[in-house]
Amino acid sequence: MTFVHQEVWHWQIATYLFLGGLGGATFAISALIHLFEGCDRKMLSVAVMSSIGFLVLGTVFLLADMLQPLKAIYALTNPRSWIFWGVIFINFYFVSAIAYVIPLLEVWPKINPYVQKIPRGILDLLERFNKLAALTGSAAGFLVAIYTGLLISAAPAISFWNTPALPLLFVISGFSTGAAFLLLLSTFSKNEESWKIIAKLEELDAMLIVTELIILGAYFNFALFLPTGARESAQVLFHSPLFIIGFFIFGLIVPLAIETYGIFFAKHTKKSGHLLVIASVMVLLGGYLLRYYVLKAGLFQFPW
Amino acid sequence: MARYGMVMDMRTCVGCQACMAACTAENQTPFWNGKFRTHVEDKAQGTFPDVRRVLLPRLCMHCENTPCLSACPTGATFMTEDGIVKVNYDRCIGCYACCIACPYDARYAYDREDVNKEEELYGKFTSHKQPHVDKCTFCDHRVSEGREPACVSTCPTNTRIFGDLDDPNSEVHKLATSGKAQALNQSLGTSPKVYYIPS
Ligand code: SF4
Ligand code: SF4
Repeated sequence: MTFVHQEVWHWQIATYLFLGGLGGATFAISALIHLFEGCDRKMLSVAVMSSIGFLVLGTVFLLADMLQPLKAIYALTNPRSWIFWGVIFINFYFVSAIAYVIPLLEVWPKINPYVQKIPRGILDLLERFNKLAALTGSAAGFLVAIYTGLLISAAPAISFWNTPALPLLFVISGFSTGAAFLLLLSTFSKNEESWKIIAKLEELDAMLIVTELIILGAYFNFALFLPTGARESAQVLFHSPLFIIGFFIFGLIVPLAIETYGIFFAKHTKKSGHLLVIASVMVLLGGYLLRYYVLKAGLFQFPW
Repeated sequence: MARYGMVMDMRTCVGCQACMAACTAENQTPFWNGKFRTHVEDKAQGTFPDVRRVLLPRLCMHCENTPCLSACPTGATFMTEDGIVKVNYDRCIGCYACCIACPYDARYAYDREDVNKEEELYGKFTSHKQPHVDKCTFCDHRVSEGREPACVSTCPTNTRIFGDLDDPNSEVHKLATSGKAQALNQSLGTSPKVYYIPS
């Protein structure tokens, strides 16, 4: 039995997986906040536009890594393939996100004239179904985020990936990065109302990090259980300082500590904002490192 | 319909790599970048002083239950009626999903650099005109003319035995069902059509 590092998918794909999870989750969380909390339309439109930006950028990284990106449309051929579903989910996401964000853009005086060029009938319709778009959009965002894990879990010979724990880990981590990004965005808001949202986001992110820690524990426990490639992969990760210190300590534990402090002791004023900025940036960097290292530690288990 | 397969008699492989050379010449694979459709693994087995050298020729296993085919979003990877797994070069977008899914390291990228180099070497007789992911085809172009794959006809020690697994009179059928031959990594459930007789 030989364990060989996969030499196929590198940082470009890690970036795509990261941006996919981040973009999908950012949209899903913003839309849900809108539905259940109501929200400042300016913030919401910035959040949704950034989430669209993340996915566009992610798609560019994916295409740039292909041998024949111009033929990408063929990827809608084989429904047994996860990439097929990824394309469907991402397009479903784009349609929902754009339909959702257009009425929100009316609050920007500079953009509004362009929005008004859209026929009134369509605008009214978009406005009327805005909440529905939020709902389908959050579903689409969730699917995009979980797909990033499903895609790489479909490799039978890379036992570290070939487990349902991986999509679960990626989706939770994706939502944590999404919450962190929204937290970051909210700290820039001048609106006093948004500090209420910040408290909610902080709690959400802390909860997601705790969940992520539990899944990570189970995942590594499982990986170390059998003498397979998964065990080798786990060893590789344990010996990567950037994974342990960068992802685990600074990407999970420290932000969790900051957020816990925030939840129990901070009064959520502008003053405590700086700490939140640091915590959110750390969660985002940690999210990227997680994808990067999971890809890097993908070991094929060859029978020779 | 035939169901083509191969048996590797590892008792006789001498590691001459003639199969690799024959395949390269037949299929214009990018040897200049160390990429081959078939390899001969050279392994040490056991621990000192009880060590043996094991030579293991390998190629695409033309799995019946095909992870690369399921992973391919474009349908570029397909199976012929004869059970040969192939890549349609015009359809392949080079997303590498199949390379990740294949448990036997059977695929490699024929990239832009390789296409250019091939043009330089073979002039107008090139067979790979655009970048794509490439792999063994059991030399189906030869098989359809009633010939054997290039590696099989070249192997000086008859290590490679090719034929129709479903034909009870074929040597490959007899060896594959003899109980001596085994497929690699059977636990993955890919049902390879290449079998190995251990040395
Ligand atoms: S050996 Fe690999 S490339 Fe060949 S059929 Fe099986 S999975 Fe596909
Ligand atoms: S690289 Fe080509 S053959 Fe492989 S999965 Fe992608 S499109 Fe299919």
